[in-house]
Parts: sequence; structure tokens; C-alpha cells
Amino acid sequence: MKLNIDYQEKFEHRHIAPNPADTTEMLHTVGVETIDELIAQTVPQKIRLAKPLNLSAAQSEFDYLNTLKQTASKNKVFKSYIGQGYYDVIVPGVIQRNILENPGWYTQYTPYQAEIAQGRLQALLNFQTMVLDLTGMEIANASLLDEGTAAAEAMFMQYSLRKNQQANVFFVSEEVFPQTIDILKTRSQPYGIELLIGDHRTVELTDQMFGAIVQYPSGNGEVYNYTGFAAKGHEKGIKLTVVADLMSLVLLTPPGEWGADIVVGSSQRFGVPMGFGGPHAAFFATKEEYKRSMPGRIIGVTIDSAGNYALRMALQTREQHIRRDKATSNICTAQALLAIMAGMYAVYHGPQGLKLIAERIHGLTILLDRSLAELGYEQQNKAYFDTLKYELGDLAKPIHGQAINNEVNLNYSGTSVTISLDETTSLEDVKTIIRFFAKVKGKSINDVAIDDIKQNIDTVIPAELLRTTPYLTHPLFNSHHSEHEMLRYIKSLEAKDLSLCHSMIALGSCTMKLNATTEMVPVTWAEFSKMHPFAPTDQVGGYMQVFDELNKWLGEITGFAAMSLQPNAGAQGEYAGLMVIRAYHQDRGDHHRNIALIPSSAHGTNPASAAMAGMKIVVVKCDDNGNIDVADLKEKAEQYKNELSCLMVT
Amino acid sequence: MDGANMNAQVGLTSPATIGADVCHLNLHKTFCIPHGGGGPGMGPIGVAKHLVPYLPGHAVVDIDNGKAIHAVSAAPWGSASILLISHAYIAMMGAEGLTNATKYAILNANYIKARLEKHYPVLYAGANGRCAHEMILDCRGFKAYGIEVTDIAKRLMDYGFHAPTVSFPVAGTVMVEPTESEPKHELDRFCNAMISIRHEIEDVEKGLADKVNNPLKNAPHTAAVITANEWEHPYTRQKAAFPLPYVAQYKFWPSVGRVNDTYGDRTLICTCPPIESYEFEESAIE
Repeated sequence: MKLNIDYQEKFEHRHIAPNPADTTEMLHTVGVETIDELIAQTVPQKIRLAKPLNLSAAQSEFDYLNTLKQTASKNKVFKSYIGQGYYDVIVPGVIQRNILENPGWYTQYTPYQAEIAQGRLQALLNFQTMVLDLTGMEIANASLLDEGTAAAEAMFMQYSLRKNQQANVFFVSEEVFPQTIDILKTRSQPYGIELLIGDHRTVELTDQMFGAIVQYPSGNGEVYNYTGFAAKGHEKGIKLTVVADLMSLVLLTPPGEWGADIVVGSSQRFGVPMGFGGPHAAFFATKEEYKRSMPGRIIGVTIDSAGNYALRMALQTREQHIRRDKATSNICTAQALLAIMAGMYAVYHGPQGLKLIAERIHGLTILLDRSLAELGYEQQNKAYFDTLKYELGDLAKPIHGQAINNEVNLNYSGTSVTISLDETTSLEDVKTIIRFFAKVKGKSINDVAIDDIKQNIDTVIPAELLRTTPYLTHPLFNSHHSEHEMLRYIKSLEAKDLSLCHSMIALGSCTMKLNATTEMVPVTWAEFSKMHPFAPTDQVGGYMQVFDELNKWLGEITGFAAMSLQPNAGAQGEYAGLMVIRAYHQDRGDHHRNIALIPSSAHGTNPASAAMAGMKIVVVKCDDNGNIDVADLKEKAEQYKNELSCLMVT
Repeated sequence: MDGANMNAQVGLTSPATIGADVCHLNLHKTFCIPHGGGGPGMGPIGVAKHLVPYLPGHAVVDIDNGKAIHAVSAAPWGSASILLISHAYIAMMGAEGLTNATKYAILNANYIKARLEKHYPVLYAGANGRCAHEMILDCRGFKAYGIEVTDIAKRLMDYGFHAPTVSFPVAGTVMVEPTESEPKHELDRFCNAMISIRHEIEDVEKGLADKVNNPLKNAPHTAAVITANEWEHPYTRQKAAFPLPYVAQYKFWPSVGRVNDTYGDRTLICTCPPIESYEFEESAIE
């Protein structure tokens, strides 16, 4: 017997399911001899590619993981104190293995078919309940894409609800994270909303303002008391959005108790890895009276045909499928899996566990502050939760150098620096920071009486900002703290959901193809999952290589000159594309080009996105079967040729 | 162009070939990022040369191509970690594998079409009577007998399937997209279920089944309903829960009966209600 030693396992044969014998039978049923004959009948010759795609040779699963491991080693995993909305976390093992890495949780579609989705609907309801309890608000949705876009959705909701139609100014605290302010700039422009960026303590509130946004704790880490600001705003009819940090709310008075109308933020630090920027679930909570204006998907309780408890997505009529360009938002995809993880983190730890975690973070931050004070460093935040701010002057450079030597990333801005602690920070980690701050001043950690400080750590948050109301009191958050209970709870919910583990999910336009295990494995490798998105460029070589390759490959596949990997959902991609077109026309001086032609059969997200990009929508007729009426298209294009910005087709 | 779904295009044609200047790709469709039960997803955009300078920038990390618009997402590369999934897919498939995936996506769809078109009218077939990677089955005709497309979607659950896309892009239809990753026997299971359901509709049409009290209108049937002491339907429990032989081998039980949407919207509750409402109190058995 001759042996074949050239055999290479091909991933293609794992991904594409029909085997040769089945293929022959299927071709026979379809009525063609070969698959290429079928393709020739399906894809018109005039739009076929002239030559095959130019991509690297296919790698086996084994080879791919080995190659990627080398690429991954070009990412340097430093201890991150950068903060700014992204914090290192301890993902509970039981959640990582049984949710994040489990196809029984990650292969499903959005729970439109509620009867076979009760498990994740319950998990998302838990998320909503957790958000409400921690923010002190009345209604919450089941996640948005990220903190920045959640803030933008809040701005737009305030704008839609404004009583004074002339009001077009939105106040933005200068201590909101810069990436959030950047998105507010993008989203405000097409609507003619004017952003006033400043200090909430000194800004003069006017009748021209319809809303305001502040951050709690602020971007620099200060915990301000916004009660007076909220009250002054309300007198003028100005609604207030608060960007809040969920972990800090365990200890702080929730915004719902001091005047917030909307609270948004990221739930990332509830057990979801940083992942170099995402994915993470943002939350959005508001008052009951605004529920019909709230963006995103809301899970609600109802009954089934037998009158029993059942869950489903509520208030669907607000969505763009129905409301099109008048929809409350263009958002479709949310961050269900990550919201589920964050909710489960709360189920796993419960209120007492969360309090211990938050107190340790807060306590170690105080210990660091007082230790550095003994070394002569003057810290600028008076009341803080987890973030310290220093003006270092000439010492900024040596501190930066020492930090790099110790594989530590701080958040630098000019000569000032902020340091944000998280649940992974240990006393030993804090000592490392103290050591190099001491070294820069020619001192030693022995000059700091750490043991004395440790004995007596009391909060620096003023009494009026300390939480007094209980949270997560529901039995769900108080019953699953042993691993067996948690494991069984997760599995009991998983068993209620039909996923690709059970059968084909033939959702048209959704492409529920194989999500191969090998494709998923690297997502939780530390070299990728523990990277902060604002880590210095010389530490992220692995990611850059992956992006370069992906850009090149997607460019080859689509035929485009360049890609942007930034939009984190389909609707975001649509919006980004339209904004790029808008920028192009404006740059050429064609400010009047603002009409988008959209067929009447288009997905509801298309007109919703175009409206958000400030475009006027002209609908192109379609026949009963949804085919575009070409005569009508020509006529409308001719009619609007001077104002035409784009045509949007699927 | 909304190129959310490229599954009939990769390796055969491209948005640029078709003439688009901008196109977004849903990587959670064609490029294997799982749907996660409603996210995460990724929607990067590709642009023609004249639009490159305007691609989104970022306030903290410099990614400006010259005339960048402000950011659209909080992080410079969006949900970066899941880009690895699409990277792995392309690297492991290669040009030929990706092109074959497209071809098989089209074959699988046309196979379903060939099996179902005798039973359901198919909309949108091309000039050669072919569909691409998905097809629309017209269910509007059943309305005359009181059968809505939702009834078909819910009845599919009794057969162990999640419904295809309902009422998009045409109301009263279902859109079916099998993808290249499904083997023939799975496609056959699905087709058998759809054909069996068509027969159930026929029973209603012919007056052999009650207009209201039939397996379609009462779907999905939970284990509690099937095993209850009372059974007040003119059809059998067997037909309700195990309508085809394969279902008996591997039954997925819907955990609740058909949900009532209007009830829930009228009395909106969006937090976990008191535990008594959905869990039985365990009391010790003496």
C-alpha cells in the first residue's frame, strides 16, 4: 500500500457542507450538469469578475492558529491603567466557557421568534433590571453599540423631545470622554445641532439649549455633585443625559436620584474583555414617560397562549422596519451577547460581591493616592472612585519611561496623567506604581508607610454622593453564587433557545452560516482580549498586522480602494458611508446635494440612516414583488439631478 | 450600496464591479462573525479612491486619511477583537474556497427552490428561473383561508426549525437563505417540514381541518400542552408535536406557547417581575 504524505486537511471542506455525492444529486434536482452551469444561469456574465481573487493560499485550521499565535505575540499586553471607558476585567470562568465561548449562546439570531428564545430574552431582561437598579432609572433597553453612540442616541432623543422647536444647542461637559465628544460632533452636524463644549460649573444655561450631557465620574475621574446643575437645567426645560460608570454606581448615588433624564454608559467592566475596543454592550436608561422615544430593543414581559409568563421584544412599532425615516434610531444589531455576559456577571457576583469588588477598586485607588502624596505628588481629584489625576510637569517624561520599563500603561495628556484602577488591580500592582513614582524622585517605596495607610482606608466620596438605596434585590441576583448553581442557571436558559447547535436557521438576508470553532478561538486569547484600544501603537503590532491583512483581503473581495473597520454594526456602516458621501460633496462645495434616492422595498434601516445623515429621502417606486421601477428611477434622477447626493440600493 | 450580504457575490462579482462608490459589509453575515443572539456585529465600509480621504477618524488614536469625518464608533477599529473571526475565515478558505462557498450558497438555495416551488410560489426568480443565495416564498395566497405567514413561522418550531425571515422585504412572504454550510440532509429536513406544513394548510383549504382550531393556529405546542390531561383539539397530540418521523428522534421543545404581543405592550413591564410569577416555589415533600 502506497501512503500519501501530502494530505492537507482543508477547512473549506468543513465550512461547505454538501459532499460530492450529495452535490451530484442536488445538481440533478436543480436540473443542471455542473455547479458552474448553475452559476452561469444565476450571476449575469457582464458583472462577473474578470479574474479569480488574489488572496493568500488557504491555510488549514491547525496552521492558521499557529501563524496567528506568532502574529499575536506582536501585541504587548501591558498592565493597563488607561481607563477612559475601557478597563481590564476578570471574566468569570463559568461565564467565559459557557456563554462567550459557547455556540449555544453565540450562534442565535435576534430573538424575533420569541417562543424559542426565552433563554436569552430572560438574560437580557436581567441586564435591563441590573441597569435600572444601578442607575436609579425607570426603563432600560437591552443594549446599544458602545458608550459614544449611546450618548449620541441620547442627544438625538432629547432633540426629538424638545418643546422649544427653535432650541438647537446641546451642552457637552468638557470632561466627557474625547471619543464620546467626537461621535457627538459627527451626529450633531447633519441635524444642525450646535454643540457647546464647556465647564458645567460655569456655563450659562440659555433658552436655546434643549439638552446637556455630563459624565459621572467625569472623564478625569472627579465625582461631581450635579444636583444643582440638573435642577437649573430643568427650570429652563433642559433635559440632562448622564454618562455613567456602572461599577462606580455600586458605591455612588445613582443619577436617577439627582435629576438625570437619561443615563447611558458601557457595561464592559462587568466581565467583558477590553478586546482592543470591543465588542461591549452599552446601556441606555430613561424615565417611563419617554419609553416610546427610546432607541434600541426593549425586552418586555407578556403572557403566552396559555396565560403563562413569557418574554418578547416590546414596542416593536418604534423600530425602523415600520417607521423608516421617522424611526427613533437606525439601530438594529445591538450587543446581545455582551449584554448577556454583563447581566450574568451581576447574577454571579450579586449585590454583595459587586460591592466588595467596587470597594477594593476604590480602596486601592485611595491607597495609591495617599502613598504618592507621601512621595510629594499632588493629586488633583477631590472626590474620585477609581481614577487619579496628576500634573507632572518635568517629571512626566521620566514617569512615562519608568512606566514602560515596568510594562505599565498610564493615560498621558501633555504633562498630565491619569491612572484608573480596575478589578484586576492588586496591592502588588499598586506597589509597582508607587515604586517607580518613588524612583523618579530619587526615593524608595520604603519611604511610604503603606502598612499604616492600609490599616485605615476610608472613602473620599462625600456622604451626599454615597449610595443609600439597595440594588439587585431581586432573588435572581441573590441565588446563583456557587459555580454549580451558576452553571445550571446558564444551562437552563440556554436549553430554551434554538441555535445553530440544533438546526439550520434559514433566515433570508441574515446568512446564518457556520461560525467555525477555530475562527472563534483567538477572540479570547489574552494577546487580543486584554488589549486597551488606546494602547501605544508600538504595543499593538499584532492587531495592526491582522487589520492590514483584512483590509487588503476585503479590498480585493469588494474591489474597493480602501476600507474603514470602524463601524461596529451594519446600520453604522450605512451611516458612515452616507456621511463619507456627504463630506465628499461638501468638500467640493456641493452643499446643496442632499437627496438620497431609496427604493420603496429597501430595508427600513436605509431611510432611517439617510435621515440621520441629514439627507432628504426621495422614494423610488417598486412593483409588488419589490423590483425597482427603472423608469421611475430615471425620472427621479433627472428631476433631482442638481440636488442628488446618492442612490442607495441593496 | 447596502452590501450587507455579500454571500452571492464573493469571488464571482463585487460591489465595485457593479458600480458602487461605497458599500458596507456585514461581517456578521458573509464573513462568519456569529450573530450572538442579536449582536455583536461589524459593518466596515469599502470606498472607491475619491472617497478614501473622508473615511472616519478618531479623537484619541490618529487614523486620519487626510479629510476624515469625525468618528462613528467609540473605538478606532470598532469591535476589534471579532475582526479576528473574519480574518480567520478568509485566511483558511483562500480565493478558491471563498468562491466555492458562494457557489454552494447558490446551489443550496436553488436546491430548496427546486424542491419547494411546486408547493409555494417563488418571487424574484432571475431570467433563467434561478434564485441567487436566497429566495422568497409567497404565502399571501393562504390568507384567504385564514392562514397568516406568522402561523407558518410558529408551526416550524414544532418541526424543530427557526422560521426564515418573515415579511421582509415583502409582507406576507418568507425569505429563505440556507447558506453553503448546510448539508443536503438538513436542507431535506427543512423542505420536508415546509411541504408538510403546506399539506396542513391544504387541509384547512379543503375544510378537512378546522379554520381556527388547527395545528398551525395553535403552534407552537409546548411539552406542557402535549402532556396535559386535557386535549381539546380535533387533531392528535402526535400530529401536534411529532408531525414527521425525524422530529421524534431529536425534538426541540418550545418553552412557551405563542406569545401575546399586544398584552405586553399594553401593560409594559421591562424588569424582572417578582419571582413567584415564573418559578414554582420548591416546598419539601413529606
